[in-house]
Amino acid sequence: MTKDQETELLDRFSLAVFLEAVRCLDENVSTAKEIDIAMRAGAGLPEGPLGHADKLGLDKVLARLQALQAQYGERFQPPERLLALVAAGRTGVEAGRGFLDY
Amino acid sequence: MYVFKAAVLGAGTMGAEIAQVISLSGLPVVLKDVDPAQLERGMEHIRDIYARRVQRGRISEHDAQDRIALVTPQLDYQGFSDVDLVIEAVPEKLELKQAVLGEVEGHVAKTALLATNTSALPVTEVGAKLHKPQRLVGMHFFFPASVMKLVEVIAGAQTEDEAVDSAVEFVEGIRRIGVRVRECPGFLVNRILMAGLAEVFRAEQDLGLGPKEIDAAVAASRLAPMGPYALADALGLDIAQDVSETLKAAYGERFDLGTRITALIAEGKRGAKTGAGFYTYTG
Repeated sequence: MTKDQETELLDRFSLAVFLEAVRCLDENVSTAKEIDIAMRAGAGLPEGPLGHADKLGLDKVLARLQALQAQYGERFQPPERLLALVAAGRTGVEAGRGFLDY
Repeated sequence: MYVFKAAVLGAGTMGAEIAQVISLSGLPVVLKDVDPAQLERGMEHIRDIYARRVQRGRISEHDAQDRIALVTPQLDYQGFSDVDLVIEAVPEKLELKQAVLGEVEGHVAKTALLATNTSALPVTEVGAKLHKPQRLVGMHFFFPASVMKLVEVIAGAQTEDEAVDSAVEFVEGIRRIGVRVRECPGFLVNRILMAGLAEVFRAEQDLGLGPKEIDAAVAASRLAPMGPYALADALGLDIAQDVSETLKAAYGERFDLGTRITALIAEGKRGAKTGAGFYTYTG
């Protein structure tokens, strides 16, 4: 596996998980905090998908989604909620706010 | 509403594990099954879990015996009049769950809370034939329940808020993490996890990679505790396929797992339980 392949593989996995978490949030299936707790306690993920994205920086997550959308289509379309957070400067841990508050 | 006494219906692995978790917290629990042999296997499973805890020094032999004594194996509904919470853990068949819950409803107090342990069935439908569907919640314990900390608590369309609150309090009382989930196919965790799994299966095709190197890369990245192929094998490929079909019908093609898993299932390779899946297992 080349370095590029590895990056793409891991990005596609973690962003597919992230996007589904955002859909659950949009559909009021649960809250951001509880989604992250559930994914850690129920799926054993070291970090919840929303907190993980906040840590990476939501502006960077957005850019990566746009690149994957160009390559693979609509399933990587950045969610409205992410666009709104980035536009509001709520780009995650570094900004003090993202999907969660810090 | 505080739960002083609970009952679990169905003494299969899941039912036994749930009864074990309840007893460990110090609450009395009735474990009921219709089959005496199954009931004995369930009790044996509970004793095994406690024996392992004693071996690891997590609990004293004396305390383990006390906790096991909190579990009452039963074939009938004796003493159900003072049961505050019934959790059914019978196989995942809608009609069976409806029948079992409908029957127990006649043996418990009107105020009792009912719970269905399901990972797949809509709580609203499970409760459709009850006199008091407002008292039914979904409680999705993860496998194995004696180890896994999460319980998804799901409100059906008719479930009253107090029932959900009581269920979450109960889950916390038995030292588990209760997360409120609005009813939707796959609920929360399986839905999100399966989205990641399906994307990895597509990446395998697009990038021409193999399961082994993908699992190694995912595990090394610390994004997940184990690689997706090892996870699918552990879950059972037929189960993974079933879950994916449900999610695909509800949300679309992003949950498609591709043709390779179908081919493996057709060859009888249904994962670790059959000795082969994406990997081969010996011993």
